[in-house]
Amino acid sequence: MNVDPRALTELLEESQDLQADALRPTRATLDELVEAHHESESPDPRENVAFHEGHRQGVWSSLAGAPLLAAAGGLTLVGALASAASATSSQDIQILQTAASIENLAVATYKTALTLPYIGSSSANAVVNKFARVTMNQHAQHADAFNAAARALGGKSQTKPDPAFVPVVNKAVASLSGATAAQGTLGVVGLALELENIAAETYVKDTVLVKSSSNKGLFASIMGVEAQHVAVLLAVQALLKAGAPQLISLAPGTAASLPAAAGSVGFPNAFYKTNSAAPASQGAVK
Amino acid sequence: MRKNKSEKPGFVGTESELVAMTNELDELHYDVGMPAMWEGVSNMIDNLESARTSRSTSRRSFLLGAGGAVAGGALLSVGLGPVLAGATTTQKTSPHAALTSSVFPPAGLKGDLAVAAVAASLENLAVYAYKAGLSAATAGKLGTVPPAVATFVTTALSQHTQHAAAWNAVLAAHGKAKVTVVNPTLAPTVNSDFAKVTTVAELAKLALTLETIAAETYQAETSMLSSAAAIGLSSSIQPVEMQHIAILYYVLGEYPGTQSASGTPLAFSPTNQAA
Repeated sequence: MNVDPRALTELLEESQDLQADALRPTRATLDELVEAHHESESPDPRENVAFHEGHRQGVWSSLAGAPLLAAAGGLTLVGALASAASATSSQDIQILQTAASIENLAVATYKTALTLPYIGSSSANAVVNKFARVTMNQHAQHADAFNAAARALGGKSQTKPDPAFVPVVNKAVASLSGATAAQGTLGVVGLALELENIAAETYVKDTVLVKSSSNKGLFASIMGVEAQHVAVLLAVQALLKAGAPQLISLAPGTAASLPAAAGSVGFPNAFYKTNSAAPASQGAVK
Repeated sequence: MRKNKSEKPGFVGTESELVAMTNELDELHYDVGMPAMWEGVSNMIDNLESARTSRSTSRRSFLLGAGGAVAGGALLSVGLGPVLAGATTTQKTSPHAALTSSVFPPAGLKGDLAVAAVAASLENLAVYAYKAGLSAATAGKLGTVPPAVATFVTTALSQHTQHAAAWNAVLAAHGKAKVTVVNPTLAPTVNSDFAKVTTVAELAKLALTLETIAAETYQAETSMLSSAAAIGLSSSIQPVEMQHIAILYYVLGEYPGTQSASGTPLAFSPTNQAA
């Protein structure tokens, strides 16, 4: 792929400006958010018990719903990870920190993927390459937004990746060693797909769980973007599996060559599920 | 992006594999997705009544876009089929029959139920537009229709129908009339825009606009709805509309994700086009 660094820089600057504009309403309500937090600083013990019980059950459902991650050994982590997160943080803070941890993991995963020749080099498929770069940047912005919201509530930033998924992602990445370009690309797409789906499902669930309307708005503004990542990866995965990588293209006329099934493979469900959602406190700062 | 000219441009030989994958996904949808949806709707019905009076204000997205709108002749019944001329309303009196009021949403609906009515009307509008698109394509008015575009339209139409059914199930459970008309605020614009559609690409752009309005409306309402069940239903639909948007961009040869007017991908979905 031929990359014009100046154009890319301009694109990123424009994107940052737009994101700053988009986030302004969120920041404008930070005072409201902090006020709401102060009003609910004394957590209800019964609520916390229910929250952590939900967390414990959620670890199982999250890993069980992600076949690649589960097959890579994720289920062995359940016992260690199902312990309750810090009880001193509010539910919203823990949820935001967990979301940031998922974003951190996504950034690290895409960053690693971009070091692979079939994803990050000039020989990589141009659409896949651009998607990986743009998506990595978007996840970094999501992490910043979640951490800003957590700090506004008095919490700490979560700068680490989700502990439940780090070892399994590492193992999945290691398994790509020696893979052909086709195998490797498919492997990366499969891994990214699972992470993106976990993120999307988690945020759909979190939109209901968080208490403040500002946080609901933040999750709502991100969950659909992650779902779009899923849609793109599903389509790319299907075309790769079908041996038609040349159709992973934005060139004029490509749509006319796409197989019929490619038109619907990106949105398999009329209602987004949440059975693979990460437990709300899984990535909270301990 | 550039295209490798040495590679074969079309799809060769493995259509059956993709079809099998789609069928599998379809089965999953009906085996897993639908029961989950109806469970969600059931929960919403259970919870809505007690919650809907607690926060009856702050319905910005719907009150700005459609609340109190005098529909006049703009109300269209989805069930009438894909003929865009002939706008009409249906007149019935049963609480479970089609909506009849010229004021939309009806005065008897408040809080989350008013939101449900407007959401159903938006979904009906999408169904109406996709049906019109299919009709025009079948009549040969849009030129050659790529197979993937045809599949997209039929699948998206099916999903929007299910979304409308979910919101109407909530209304019916509360003894309210199901909404079978399209959103009166947007219908005139859609009619006008559709009249200018002569190609598949133009139809895709119109669909993109409708999907964007729907997704952004759901997003905006998420922080305004009262009951957790209503928020859950809305949140389970918004990402699906966003997925429709991504694939439409791909079909149009543009970056497959939410973006600015100039094509810059956005990390956060905006709400400036919410109804």
